[in-house]
Amino acid sequence: MSRLTLAIPSKGRLMEQTTDMFARAGLVVRKVGHARGYRGEIEGLPDVDVAYVSSSEIAEALKAGSIHLGITGEDLIRENISDADTRIGFVHKLGFGFADVVVAVPDCWIDVATVADLEEIAMPFRRLHGRWPRVATKYMNLTRRFFASKGFGDYRIIESAGATEGAPAAGTAELIVDITTSGETLRANGLRVLNDGVILRSQANLFASKVAAWSPALQSVCDQIAANLAKSVPQPANSK
Amino acid sequence: MATETTRDFEALEKQTQTIMSVFTKAGYEAVAPTILQPADVFLDVIGESLRARTYVFTDPDGAELCLRPDLTVPTCRLHLARHADPATPARYSYSGAAFRFQPQGADAAHPREFRQAGIERFGDTERETAEAEIVATVIRAIEKAGLKDWSLRLGDLGLFSSILDVAGLSPRWKKRLDDAFLRPLAFRESLKAFAAGAEAARLPVPDALLSSLKRADMAASEAAIAAYLDEKSIELIGTRTLSDITEHLIDIAEGREEKPLDPAAADLIGRYVGITAPARMAGAKIAELVNGAPAGSAAALESYDRRVALLANAGIDLERVTFAAEFGRTMAYYTGLVFEVRVKTLGPQSPVATGGRYDALMRAAGASVDVPAVGAAIHTERLLAAIRGASS
Repeated sequence: MSRLTLAIPSKGRLMEQTTDMFARAGLVVRKVGHARGYRGEIEGLPDVDVAYVSSSEIAEALKAGSIHLGITGEDLIRENISDADTRIGFVHKLGFGFADVVVAVPDCWIDVATVADLEEIAMPFRRLHGRWPRVATKYMNLTRRFFASKGFGDYRIIESAGATEGAPAAGTAELIVDITTSGETLRANGLRVLNDGVILRSQANLFASKVAAWSPALQSVCDQIAANLAKSVPQPANSK
Repeated sequence: MATETTRDFEALEKQTQTIMSVFTKAGYEAVAPTILQPADVFLDVIGESLRARTYVFTDPDGAELCLRPDLTVPTCRLHLARHADPATPARYSYSGAAFRFQPQGADAAHPREFRQAGIERFGDTERETAEAEIVATVIRAIEKAGLKDWSLRLGDLGLFSSILDVAGLSPRWKKRLDDAFLRPLAFRESLKAFAAGAEAARLPVPDALLSSLKRADMAASEAAIAAYLDEKSIELIGTRTLSDITEHLIDIAEGREEKPLDPAAADLIGRYVGITAPARMAGAKIAELVNGAPAGSAAALESYDRRVALLANAGIDLERVTFAAEFGRTMAYYTGLVFEVRVKTLGPQSPVATGGRYDALMRAAGASVDVPAVGAAIHTERLLAAIRGASS
């Protein structure tokens, strides 16, 4: 294969911010054909096909190796790819799309500040209410891995399709794992993040699929894109 | 197994017949619990970690179901459906498919779909006798199937509890360590933190409020918490009630009054956890450790010794039996004796049989009381592989 496929989020803020950032880095992304189409190109890089894809599908495509590069949130990469570090290369942090994946409990749980406290209330809760505390989330894998790393196992996950923050008040779950940027939505729903409840500080990244078909020529195109981005968005010292 | 040949299938069938005939002759009624199980009952019992390895799905009516990840919980449910009194004594045997997702990828020793043949014994109050018989029956079945070279590893989750008694711990410390014991990764850290008295004041509640709470006057305590929430404009939402929260705060307040974990007790616990010895000697080693301690430990130790003697009486070669204090910590739902049968060729990660005591499982599956329960299951594909490996 002689062409490189780069997937960009197909809608919303993430698409706009990506396009702006690339433009500032001297990488002008243009749609090809109809303005509502889902294909594009980068000026001056004739070997690159741009595909507009939804953020979560970008994670899947990187995992399968059907695209070379993709822009999406680290949260979606970590959630959808259990062996992310072997399959995915972190090429560049983009400095937008910030979101923390956090464990949040009702603010009125003034007896609970850490995961260890959750562990303490789980058994009495079960005795009184006949079940383990339920955690509403769409991040099932991140949740399981995080709680397992803390040695906490006495809970049940309730898969949430949306409006996760409302689950505790609605009585469909006791606590949640969700993303937050400012914490405002959590506060508005009477929730508070546990002291040790930050699972992941996520932002948008340019990711490379290590399982895609790479050639030396495609690798140098990737290096060029990374070099351009590095000029306009310097990476923090500890970045991968 | 997708790649199963007719030859494999027939060999497994034949082996299963051999195993089941040993089980039924020993008085274990053959039953066939359903493969499809209601997900909520099952998952509540096995916990979230095994849930990650359970095939859960929604049927066209919207009911959440799962493919059983083992046959023990389905057998408990079958027993509950048959008997109004869950403590009714019963012995069951079964052979059937179980299903587990393998996150590291499936292989011959860890298939996604495998057949378990096992026995369960409910309501038997002669505890050590029942346990020794379960172990002996499984060993007999394995040997009858053709496996000669095996070793048996024992653990005892009940013994840890009695070691905690010996260490002279308060009920709260005991409970926390008992919980922590089941989580080996967190255990040493907790032990250290408890001994250092490192329970930081980290709750959002003012200390004065916390120390004003009294168990003897729940109404006033709850009122104080309600007033505090009101003052802070915190809305009471969710399933946990004001009294749930207040009671836990009182637990915490009482805990703060306590001294940190005695370093000598932490040391005793640490040394106990390190014990691995031939089954015959382990009793003496533990006795030495708790020497001069209060009488509480005697019963558990006696029970250990009695069980070992019963195993020998049942014809189990004790030379092949090892006791490991840490063993069983990560296994779901066991409460007392735990054991596994290992073969050299398959290694410690792939026991051919596992079992133990699980007195709390029946209640978790819906019974109103705890029911004495002990059982074991043979991983039949592994057993066949071990027998073939030895003869080739």
